[in-house]
Amino acid sequence: MTDDQPTDAPAPDESATESAEDRALRFERDALPFIDQLYSAAMRMTRNPADAEDLVQETFAKAYSSFHQFKEGTNLKAWLYRILTNTFINSYRKKQREPQPSMTEDVEDWQLARAESHTSTGLKSAEMEALERLADSDVKDALSKLPDDFRLAVYLADVEGFPYKEIAEIMDTPIGTVMSRLHRGRRQLRGMLADYARERGMKVDVS
Amino acid sequence: MSCGDVNKPDCAEALARLEFFIDHELPNADFEQIKQHLEDCGPCLQIADLERTVKALVARSCTEHAPETLRQRVLVRIREVHVTITEQPG
Repeated sequence: MTDDQPTDAPAPDESATESAEDRALRFERDALPFIDQLYSAAMRMTRNPADAEDLVQETFAKAYSSFHQFKEGTNLKAWLYRILTNTFINSYRKKQREPQPSMTEDVEDWQLARAESHTSTGLKSAEMEALERLADSDVKDALSKLPDDFRLAVYLADVEGFPYKEIAEIMDTPIGTVMSRLHRGRRQLRGMLADYARERGMKVDVS
Repeated sequence: MSCGDVNKPDCAEALARLEFFIDHELPNADFEQIKQHLEDCGPCLQIADLERTVKALVARSCTEHAPETLRQRVLVRIREVHVTITEQPG
C-alpha cells in the first residue's frame, strides 16, 4: 500500500507519454470527484448558485487545460482550490451579481469590541447550547456577511482543514496575512453567531 | 478569579496562541503547554470551547452537492477543451 505515501523520487513525467485520451480519463477519475467540494466553496465565494456553477465550470476547464503541468503525487485538491481562487479573484469578483457585503474594515473595530465582550463574559449555557444547534442557514448567512478575503480564509481552514501554509499558497498571500484574515474573520463571525444564539437562547429559556 | 486575565502571563500566552492551538499549527511542546493550561484554567477553557464550537459549526454547515446538470456541463466542457488541445498542431 504505497498510494498514500509521499514519494521522494521525482515522479516520471507521465504527461509526455500519456495520450490525450488517457489524460482526459485521468482527469475525470482524479479531479472530477472534487466537484462537490469546489461547488460548496464556490457557493460561499459567489453567494449564489448561478455564479457558483459558472465558476466551477470555468475552474475545471482551466484545470484540464493545464493538467499536464500538475505533478501527480502532489496535492490535487490544493491545486484545484488554487485555480478556483484565482478564477474567482481575477475574473469573477469583477462581474459579481451580488452586492459586496456591507461589513467592511470600517465597522470592524465596533464589531470586534462586541465580539470581545461576548467572549470575555462568555455565553450562558442555554446560549451556548443554542449556538451549537444553530441552523446551517444561520451559519451560511453569517459567513456571507464577512469580507471575501476573511470568508475564504475561514472556509479553507475550517471546512477544508488546509494548513496555514497551504492557504497562503492558495490565496497567493504571505502566511501572516492568512493568520490575520483568519483571526479577524473568526472574531466577526463569533460576534454574529453569538447574537443569533442569544436570540435563539432566549426562546429556549422561555419554553 | 484572575484566570482569563490577559495580564496574567499564562493566560495571556495561552489566549494569544489559542487559535494556533485549535488549528493544530503549534509544535508539540507548545501544543502540550496550552493544553495543560486549558485543563487548569476554566475561563480560558470557556473561550477555547466557544472558538472550537464556532469552527465546528462552520465545518458542519457548508456542505453542498453540485447539481447533476453542473456535472454534465463540466464533462461537456472538458471534452471541448480536449478537442481543442488534440487539434493543436505538434
